[in-house]
Amino acid sequence: MNQATDNDLLINKIRDAIERVEDPEYPGLSIIDLGILESIRLTSNGVTVGLVPTFSGCPALSLIARDVRGAIARVDGFGEVEGIEKVEVVWLRSPAWSTERLSPLAHRVLAAEYNVSVQVGSKTPRCPRCGGETAERSIFGPSRCRAVHVCACCREPVEVLRS
Amino acid sequence: MRRSWVSITSFEDFLDAGGIVEPDDGMPDRYRHAVFSFIEFHANSELMGGLTERDWIPKTPGLKHKMAVLAKTQDEIGHGHLLYMIAADMGVKTREQMLEDLFAGKGRFHNVFHYRAHSWGDQVAIAFLVDAAALISQQAVFKRCSYGPYKRILKRIIAEEGFHMRLGEDRMMRIAQGTQLQRDMFQDSINRWFWPALQLFGPDSKPDDELLRWHIKSERNEVLRDKWVQKFVPLLQSYGFVIPAPELRYHQAEERWDVGPIDWEPLQRTLRQGGPDSARRIGEAAENWRRTAWVRKALQGSVAQ
Repeated sequence: MNQATDNDLLINKIRDAIERVEDPEYPGLSIIDLGILESIRLTSNGVTVGLVPTFSGCPALSLIARDVRGAIARVDGFGEVEGIEKVEVVWLRSPAWSTERLSPLAHRVLAAEYNVSVQVGSKTPRCPRCGGETAERSIFGPSRCRAVHVCACCREPVEVLRS
Repeated sequence: MRRSWVSITSFEDFLDAGGIVEPDDGMPDRYRHAVFSFIEFHANSELMGGLTERDWIPKTPGLKHKMAVLAKTQDEIGHGHLLYMIAADMGVKTREQMLEDLFAGKGRFHNVFHYRAHSWGDQVAIAFLVDAAALISQQAVFKRCSYGPYKRILKRIIAEEGFHMRLGEDRMMRIAQGTQLQRDMFQDSINRWFWPALQLFGPDSKPDDELLRWHIKSERNEVLRDKWVQKFVPLLQSYGFVIPAPELRYHQAEERWDVGPIDWEPLQRTLRQGGPDSARRIGEAAENWRRTAWVRKALQGSVAQ
């Protein structure tokens, strides 16, 4: 097998490992589905993983970085390939994270498991329970990336993830 | 859709079968009041806890920890916000009434927020021991919770509290591996916080506890308290700290820890707002509410336009 295929295989394995890293605030949801993973690059002696934070002041950044390093360290073949052992996790300043980076699965899990709706563009977010329109109650909720809305139809408080 | 029940027995059968009550249902009045009081207590505790956390933003060592404390403050206040919303929606008291009762010393909240955090070590002990106790009791409520809006909010609160606990554990390990001075500071904090954290679960549940019968709580207080003891006594000891319980014993045959008799008087005092720091805490929260009246007024004005 040539070097290029080997590298692709390793990158795929690393990506699979990162897929298993869950967001500390949304257990059950991978950081890939949340659109936090930007790039995986093999370097001369290791790998550099580029991540984008949802918000720059997010308190979960160091935990996520640690979990990513831990997941890669367990990748089969990593560290065995000569000269590839250094894992670097970098929080990138660009591109900026936005709710458009969420996968369709993330939308479904957020709605079904966490009762969280997503603000995309200027569309009025819908209530995950009854599909009714929501109205904003406050621009911040328990986290900087979420506003608090209330459903006009069933009165459910709905947290809205936004960029 | 509005559902109603012909009798309390048929309502209880519905709950026993795992039924979930929604805000529009014609729930029995006693159930409505019991659930309301429980959520109000939780909302008050989140708010008072958030204000404590806020006190530590300027005093937290290092930018990384400061960021976490800032975010945790927002978490707690945000949880309080959501809980006050669903409590007010039950039509027993308005949000303003709940807050005014709280600031007048008539509202109840967790015993641990009637104590003062004296050092950074205390903050770590709170994040580690107290948050864990709160998490254990919230998980038990979530498991069988019969009131829909509360169950759904608890799911997110639990995910976030779990994250706080990981941060607390991280800090605890850092201090445990620190200098003798840091370890001594943390031992002092354990001495101050071990018993209040344990008492957060409350005295043994009454045999006919309505909260259990109506599936608001899913476990008896003493069962949850014991779960905490079995986890944290050996954990703190494994890091070389001493448990401040003179009658602590390990029952070899049952493989379990026994902390000895519990003095419930300190807990009773906090319920009467007579804890060591109750007056200052409630006074400062009330003063804060008074000073921010103009913000609420301005916001109302902008809504009216």
